[in-house]
Amino acid sequence: MTLAFSLCLLTIFVLAAIGTPVAYSIIVGSLVYLGVKGQDVAMAGEQMISGLFDSFVLLAVPLFIVAANIMNASAVSERLLKFCVATVGRFRGGLGHVNVVSAIIFSGMSGSAVADAAGIGRVVIDMMRKSGHYSGGYAAALTAASATIGPIIPPSIPMVLYALVSNTSIGYLFLGGIVPGLLMGVVLMFMNAYYAWKNNVGREESVPLREIPKVTMQAFPALLMPVILLYGIYGGIATPTEAAAIAAAYALVIAVFLYRSLSVKSFYEVMVESARPSASVGLVIGGALILNYIVASENIGTTIANALVGIHVAPLTFMFGVNILLLILGCILDASTIILVILPLFIPTCQQLGIDLIYFGVVTVVNTMIGLITPPYGILLFVINAITRIPLAEIIREIWVFIAALVFALVIMILFPEITLWLPQLFGYAG
Amino acid sequence: MNRFVMRLRQAAEALSAFMMTALFATFLLQIFSRYVMDEPFGWTLELCLILWVWIVFFGAAFILRSEDHITFDLLYLAVPVGPRRVMALISAVAVAGTLLWSLLPTWDWVSFLRIKKSATLHIPMRDIYIVYPLFVVAVAAAYIWRIWVLLHKGIEDDGHKEDAA
Repeated sequence: MTLAFSLCLLTIFVLAAIGTPVAYSIIVGSLVYLGVKGQDVAMAGEQMISGLFDSFVLLAVPLFIVAANIMNASAVSERLLKFCVATVGRFRGGLGHVNVVSAIIFSGMSGSAVADAAGIGRVVIDMMRKSGHYSGGYAAALTAASATIGPIIPPSIPMVLYALVSNTSIGYLFLGGIVPGLLMGVVLMFMNAYYAWKNNVGREESVPLREIPKVTMQAFPALLMPVILLYGIYGGIATPTEAAAIAAAYALVIAVFLYRSLSVKSFYEVMVESARPSASVGLVIGGALILNYIVASENIGTTIANALVGIHVAPLTFMFGVNILLLILGCILDASTIILVILPLFIPTCQQLGIDLIYFGVVTVVNTMIGLITPPYGILLFVINAITRIPLAEIIREIWVFIAALVFALVIMILFPEITLWLPQLFGYAG
Repeated sequence: MNRFVMRLRQAAEALSAFMMTALFATFLLQIFSRYVMDEPFGWTLELCLILWVWIVFFGAAFILRSEDHITFDLLYLAVPVGPRRVMALISAVAVAGTLLWSLLPTWDWVSFLRIKKSATLHIPMRDIYIVYPLFVVAVAAAYIWRIWVLLHKGIEDDGHKEDAA
């Protein structure tokens, strides 16, 4: 490692640790690198802006954000919840199951865990608390855990970011996430059923069966959305970026014409509130583009690969090693930072060890999503705390069982690559 | 003064919302031209990409509040006010200093791009990329303002949450 690169890393770590925004820390670190190397400092801006300008796939990021925000601003979430209550709400621990199932359905329309927690998650937490069967901490913890499914079942912003740094197909990555996402839902529902049984949670008043057709009809346009998206992408009709725009347009049409729940004023607010996260995520992507340029010119990834291949690391050992490291990093770092900055370091090793990059991508994205709920730094815990005012300590007390359940699902996914690769291969993936 | 700043911020938000809507609409137009008219426009994709880089850098410069940024603030929030002020000062000096240092070379590069035109809309690349020097100047200015506030008023009432950077 050269002096310039050491100084670059030192600058980034020190600045980020004292609270400088991650994107600015990376920009400053890169400028330090270029300065020490005696290269043109304009290179930093050039890598950032031309990198963003050249990546067509990145357009999916703002479009997925718009789609999720339109759905949250309209009554789509309420109708979906009514449908879930009518179908899975009748069992013991019913509202907990409603929480997970609605998160799974919603994840088929939105690509961001934070949007899921802030949107449908907020509504379901209210329902669980009002029923009197669940503590606020439990409702919040289950919601945080089920929101991590959002970016695993397509569409997914983190997978778009992974596709950018690994040059893999977004379509296959999206397909690869479906079964793992359902597996996460199953383990969470299992934990919830166990909780309901142990604490003898009472049943809710179940919706009469004859009302199910009506509730389903009301939720039908929303339920159709994941189908349209998946059919669009895998029928070869639209690219994932186009699917993002179609999803947003579809959400807008049903919100305005069918549910009549979106005013001009709230549409304006949706656009402002979509511009903000687009800018902050875009800036971190830009920072990662310079950093990845530096990492590539220093040959860091190849050095790591040669070192690991030199000591004959078995692929499975490598997978477990990387995943343990990522879980630890997930406690303190943001998911997009890990995906854009840390994961590229390991991609050359994967190629040398013969580890499939779709499998590696889906597993590590699941890992970083678990990182969203691991204290002390878990963005989903903060978001839910901010919107529901349930104290962080109460949420964190209840979150551990769900973290354990999701880590269990992660281990299963690492041990059995078929879970991830089965669907992509069914659709012609050759890896 | 505060009213004026608030008006500016509202204007910046309106412009960002407009660009976001335009990006969305242009993208839909592109899909329409490709699948319905069977004759893709071409210029729509480029306009989308221009809007995207503008949303990122214009947005980062003018509408992001400090809590909107992806930040690792565990340590920052855990320490007492004294060290926190020192940390905030170091951040602000580092960001403002290095950004200003890169400004002239960056400007040279961007202004040189006036001779290069974009592929389909034939706009000089300088006019597209100019948002980056604009971002550099705005963020550096916001951090210099923050240094002044930190030195004169301290950390408590530094308007941290409303800060442009």
